[in-house]
Amino acid sequence: MSLISLKNIYKIYNVGGEEVRALDGVDLTIKENEFLAIMGPSGSGKSTLMNMIGCLDTPTSGLYEFEGEKVHEMDDNQLASIRNRKIGFVFQTFNLLPKATAQHNVEIPLIYGNVRRDLRQAMAADALESVGLEDRMHHKPNELSGGQRQRVAIARALVNRPSIILADEPTGNLDSKSGTEILEIFDILYRAGNTIILVTHEDYIASHANRTIRLFDGKIQEDISTTA
Amino acid sequence: MFSLFLENLRISLSAVLANKMRSLLTALGVVIGILAVTLMGTLISGLDRSFEKSMEFLGKDVLYIRKFEWFGDKEWWEMRNRPNIKIKHADVIRDRSRYAKYVAPVSEWYTSVKRGENDIGGVRVTGTTDEYAMITTAEIEKGRFFSNSESRSGSRVAIIGKDIADNLFDKENSIGEKIRIGNYTFRVIGETEKQGKFLGMFSLDKQIIIPIGTHQRLFTRRGWTGINVKVDGNQIGDAIEELTAMIRQLRHIRPTEEDNFALNRQDPFKEQYAMIKLAIGGTGFFITVLSLVVGGIGIANIMFVSVKERTREIGTRKALGATPKMILGQFLMESVTICLFGGLMGMGLAWGGSFIIDQYFPSDMPFGLAFTALGLSVFVGIISGLAPSYKAAKLDPIDALRYE
Repeated sequence: MSLISLKNIYKIYNVGGEEVRALDGVDLTIKENEFLAIMGPSGSGKSTLMNMIGCLDTPTSGLYEFEGEKVHEMDDNQLASIRNRKIGFVFQTFNLLPKATAQHNVEIPLIYGNVRRDLRQAMAADALESVGLEDRMHHKPNELSGGQRQRVAIARALVNRPSIILADEPTGNLDSKSGTEILEIFDILYRAGNTIILVTHEDYIASHANRTIRLFDGKIQEDISTTA
Repeated sequence: MFSLFLENLRISLSAVLANKMRSLLTALGVVIGILAVTLMGTLISGLDRSFEKSMEFLGKDVLYIRKFEWFGDKEWWEMRNRPNIKIKHADVIRDRSRYAKYVAPVSEWYTSVKRGENDIGGVRVTGTTDEYAMITTAEIEKGRFFSNSESRSGSRVAIIGKDIADNLFDKENSIGEKIRIGNYTFRVIGETEKQGKFLGMFSLDKQIIIPIGTHQRLFTRRGWTGINVKVDGNQIGDAIEELTAMIRQLRHIRPTEEDNFALNRQDPFKEQYAMIKLAIGGTGFFITVLSLVVGGIGIANIMFVSVKERTREIGTRKALGATPKMILGQFLMESVTICLFGGLMGMGLAWGGSFIIDQYFPSDMPFGLAFTALGLSVFVGIISGLAPSYKAAKLDPIDALRYE
């Protein structure tokens, strides 16, 4: 059964009286334990597609089902709930809370998911351990390196055991060594059975994925699977 | 939901503490508002208590026959030309009145009092009769009042007030000791309990009571005189009518002429006091409302800034699963926290201020009012935080995440 199914998705903006089709009839199915890279030049609609998959945005028209739930019919609260339970976000700029410790940052999705405190702490510790930060749990973001910050963000994305991990240029703000480390973590997560969707414009990053789609002018131009 | 509440509280506290100066300045309006309402309450409670005591001193069923009206629109110079109250009329009232229960003539004179090295000036020396003890509310704490025969004769005995006792005798026994009032030696036979100040103006304890015969012979026959009459509290109207008629008759006032004396009592004080209280309360209320409104606007403004500054944080939180309500709660909590800080600070200042008020009117901060004040600051926090928090809650997560 497919995890994500997008059918005939349109996202149309009205910019200064002009119609902009950010997504122009996209059909996409993503199965469990895929490692998908979304590529394309700026303005191709890859960010819009990622927001759509991440349930941050709803389509102008079309059908979006996430594990059988009809996302295109959801209101703000339902979208928040599905993001909280089923999607783990990793941002290019990490987006950690600067005043909170690594541990606390990782706990945030669990707080919104109303998880008990003791359970929450255990889950956060597990997630941080899985990205190799068990000895940095009580550090604040400004006491961590860029690579470590992104690992905290990955731990935060993992902590709710989401159905998909959605990463937007996760290495864009990192040096190549840290970037490689982060990609290795994604490889490990993929091999452990996770579904990962990665937005990037770097071919060598996309090469970690087992499937790559290329967007151009809001349409899927290319969809290549590489069975590793 | 409790962990979310704690999380919001944590965020609010760290936001407030991270911008200490800004939070303080923002909360200033609330500080002043709460300070005003609490100080006003303290002041009124102090005034009330002081007024109650002063009114108790006057007694609700005592009529004061005097030359001067305590209240009213009579010109001072008109009253000044009235004849003095005659001491001997007290006996006539006692004999003839149906309503008078006790009648005591009073005569007052100010002089200094000495004992050995100690010396107090400006002491009120009141000459009266033994019936005064039945009219006044001041209890004899030590010793006794003078007897009927002592009040008729020229005995040189004195009942001293608390201030006099403290000054001349410190903690020693005063009963039976000799003091000098003006140029004459008196024997102390009693001490009155502490009574405090009359309406915060003059001390009721800086007084000496001596027999009226002695007073008239040694000090003055022309000084300030009056007659205090205790009547049945339920028949006060009738008593006023009867006494007025009686004194008019004694003074041979013709029906066409106005009274040339006054029958004073505590009621007009109450009316005046109610007006003063209303004025203080009204002013305090006005200041409170004004500063809370201005403070609330300031807080709304700073909350808009806070929402703007943390747009990306809001976006992140939404991506991680915060619902609009949770974001609303977070910012409302922050706004309430600022106001609560302001409220607590205002209460702290008012608590300090209440000690200053206490110097003039014994008072303490009314706790009910203090909690109302805190409730009020929470209310201001919610009202002024509503629009900015709503704005934060309604932010589009994508726009918020993209915000630089």
